[in-house]
Amino acid sequence: MDQNLIRNFSIIAHIDHGKSTLADRLLQISGAVAERDLKEQILDDMDLERERGITIKASAVTLDMVVDGQTYMFNLIDTPGHVDFHYEVDRALAACDGALLVVDATQGVQAQTVANAFAAANNNLEIIPVINKIDLPGATPEDAALEVEHVLGISADNVQFVSAKTGLGVADLIQAIAKCLPPPKGDPAAPLQALIFDSEYNDYRGVICYLRVMNGTIRKGQKVLLMGRQRTHLVTELGKFRPQMAPCPQLAAGETGYLVASIKSLHDVTVGDTVTDAANPATQPLPGYQPPQHMVFCDFYPSSGETYDALREALERLSLNDASFSFIPQHSDALGPGFRCGFLGLLHMDIVQERLERECGVSVVQTAPSVTYEVVLHDGTTKRVESAGDLPDMGTIAELREPIVEVQIITPADAIGSIMQLAEQRRGEFKKQEYLSATRVMLTYEFPFNEILYDFYDKLKSVTRGYGTMDYHVTGYRAGDLVKLDILVNAIPVDALSLICHRSKAEARGRRFLIKLRRQIDRHQFEIALQAAIGSKVIARETIKPFRKNVTAKCYGGDVTRKRKLLEKQKEGKKRMKTIGRVDIPQKAFMTVLEPED
Amino acid sequence: MTTPYSCRALYVHVPFCRTLCGYCDFYSEVLRTEAVGPLVDALLRELDGYAARRTLAFDTIYVGGGTPTVLPPGQLGRLLGGVRAYADAGEQLEFTVEANPATVTDEVAGVLAGAGVNRVSLGAQSFEPAELRVLERRHRPEQVGETVAICQRFGIQRISLDLIFGIPGQTLASWRRSLEAALALRPEHVSTYGLTYEAETPLRRQRDAGVVTPVDPDLEADMYELALDMMPAAGLAHYEVSNFARAGAECRHNLRYWHNEPYVGLGPAAAGFVDEVRYKNVADTAAYVQAIAAGRSPWGEHEQLPPERRARETAMLELRLASGIDRGRFTERYGVDPTRLFAEAVERHGAAGLLSVDADGIRLTRAGFLVADTVIADFL
Repeated sequence: MDQNLIRNFSIIAHIDHGKSTLADRLLQISGAVAERDLKEQILDDMDLERERGITIKASAVTLDMVVDGQTYMFNLIDTPGHVDFHYEVDRALAACDGALLVVDATQGVQAQTVANAFAAANNNLEIIPVINKIDLPGATPEDAALEVEHVLGISADNVQFVSAKTGLGVADLIQAIAKCLPPPKGDPAAPLQALIFDSEYNDYRGVICYLRVMNGTIRKGQKVLLMGRQRTHLVTELGKFRPQMAPCPQLAAGETGYLVASIKSLHDVTVGDTVTDAANPATQPLPGYQPPQHMVFCDFYPSSGETYDALREALERLSLNDASFSFIPQHSDALGPGFRCGFLGLLHMDIVQERLERECGVSVVQTAPSVTYEVVLHDGTTKRVESAGDLPDMGTIAELREPIVEVQIITPADAIGSIMQLAEQRRGEFKKQEYLSATRVMLTYEFPFNEILYDFYDKLKSVTRGYGTMDYHVTGYRAGDLVKLDILVNAIPVDALSLICHRSKAEARGRRFLIKLRRQIDRHQFEIALQAAIGSKVIARETIKPFRKNVTAKCYGGDVTRKRKLLEKQKEGKKRMKTIGRVDIPQKAFMTVLEPED
Repeated sequence: MTTPYSCRALYVHVPFCRTLCGYCDFYSEVLRTEAVGPLVDALLRELDGYAARRTLAFDTIYVGGGTPTVLPPGQLGRLLGGVRAYADAGEQLEFTVEANPATVTDEVAGVLAGAGVNRVSLGAQSFEPAELRVLERRHRPEQVGETVAICQRFGIQRISLDLIFGIPGQTLASWRRSLEAALALRPEHVSTYGLTYEAETPLRRQRDAGVVTPVDPDLEADMYELALDMMPAAGLAHYEVSNFARAGAECRHNLRYWHNEPYVGLGPAAAGFVDEVRYKNVADTAAYVQAIAAGRSPWGEHEQLPPERRARETAMLELRLASGIDRGRFTERYGVDPTRLFAEAVERHGAAGLLSVDADGIRLTRAGFLVADTVIADFL
């Protein structure tokens, strides 16, 4: 293949701006997919992705596209749209030479448009702005194009106006891809350097590596070396996604495809590693990726009727095709043995939990998510702590640091006041304000990550009547006046309910939390005291009065079986609760911390 | 093959009402006159089936529902006469029919009395019009007394009144008024039931939707205690969790349930306990009638408990009675003294003042009655 006829590119966009629809349209026009097989959004192949309308794992597909009588090879590398998956976006972009930046003509530039555009620019990609959905009644394509130029500094000369849904303008876009995006550079005769930009697990073939060849040529049967891992493998299959796997004998510099080499586990492959020839290795690996940072942690415990072993097996199975979450055994005094799991973000956490239930049939009790804190001890050592229960004795702590995120918010200008108010409640620090147009503004803030973890996005959506969008990335750690808030049930501290929060908020938080907890715990025969405490100082208290009456004063006629079963059910329900002291706490109470703050 | 004793009690379920009440989860449907004839045929045929295999000599018969008194008088008479035929001639028969106020006309009362019915259990529920509306009861408070008078005029002297507490909107004062109004009619027996939000009832859906607000549980406890105080003061002793009676006027039929004794149950959704087997008929009138007509068993489900669970079930039932678990009789039936079988629960709840134990029995104390479910669950 003539390298000059290859185009490696991604489609990047804010969520729901039409990335997947455009990809499908390109597939269809290239003939890779027959019309009748065109399921909506082919590249999203997990059920969950299709249901949630988000792309979780990057995909890559090779298309033959005829432009001006020449057959080009388009390698379209799909990227995830959600903020949690920035790291996947970044690795996919490293395999590209260009990008299509899709912007919804009815919505204009949004927070993730900005984040994605910057990521593409950082990877030195040539960008074609694509204004999509121009067929919709509310579309203002010219305004959207102006925003792209104004906010992102990308010239409007190149802008393509399309409707991915109807196909309008897509032919011109294909022309532009061929004419405006650069062909890959790289020397097919140089020593092999190929970038693993993604991997997935297949039950029959083991690990399938997604590969972009930068220099040299990789061949079937070749013995290759993974430079980071320093492990050699025999290439048993090479190929391209069309979109089904189509084997081919070799992949040369500039090409994209897949590699199968009897690799058993996803954990044996580091995404971002460089593949080279074992006998004639390249002198340097390609610039690699940072391993994904786990931003959010929570514990999973087997729920009633599930065993620890079943949960472990399910997590192991899931990690075969999602290497981006971690799990290590964890023991809670209240909930027994379980796992501490690390995620890229909250959505990622939800997805893993849902896949556990849906794909593995295992239901879990999930504790409230926590960010990772840094603890500096008096002896000068620093350690990371993923939950309040793991904090060392407060007396030994010199400083407690919390992760800080920079947040970009794009909003209608009339909501600025409400957002500022919201930000103030969340300890946000205003950085700057830029007008995208007369009516739309981009605000930049710094927040403690913890403050936006639970429901900030929902709140933002609500104060902006659904128009506000946001994106964030972690910028570092900062010391804060943070305290550990202990929750005590009849004077017994419950590790799974403790949390870390800012001193100024501890009292209000504790009080609200106890009110919610009180609603979750049934009255007992005795009085129950719920307390929130910092150290030995109790800052809030709620009391659950004992019940005076628990009797079914009802006539069940002769239906003795029913009467017995009711009592048995009551007894059974008690078994499923976690008993702390003599207090039965339903599993749901452990999720109470998750509920939105009022 | 069975001794006559094994089947001394009969329950008949009549699954028809004029209208359905939002709180009720007993199986019932709106009366369709054309369905009554086939139902009565089926009930009597089901009874013949039991009689064919054992000697039946009932000394308690209880016809409930539903509202038996909405049946056309002719059919009601045929049903009552049919079941009466299996009564034990040598014994004093307790023959109860459930009725709603305003469903007992002179004609109906005549049919009841003619068939030998000597006890009527009236669903008074409340004497407050607003509370009756919440319960979707269609009668007026004064119709309770009118109905009692009609029954007595036809010679039916034994009257029981059902009352409900914990009705949304009910206060301690209004509950007291209902209790007083009931006592003023001088019934020999009163049942006070706590309103239960049963699954899949309209009332439950209203509660879940926030349309009705249940009364505060502490108020409900006060209401229950008020009944525990007022009834005995008026001469009606507390003999079961929800039941009060003058001496000797306890419902003998219900006592059979509470002593875990056998009884035949007839009709859709009726439960029975015959030859050590508990069964429950299908809760569907058409399916029930069809099964009987085809000579098939109308049982929807049945179970036979192993001896220890049966013993525990007996304890569960007898603890509801003021007389409690009869130690001698229990030991005789199950070969183990209940204070041994339930040693831990007896010890714990005894120490907490919820149970009293002596040589004769194990009984709930007054404090124990208020939390009876908590205590009894530990006997299962």
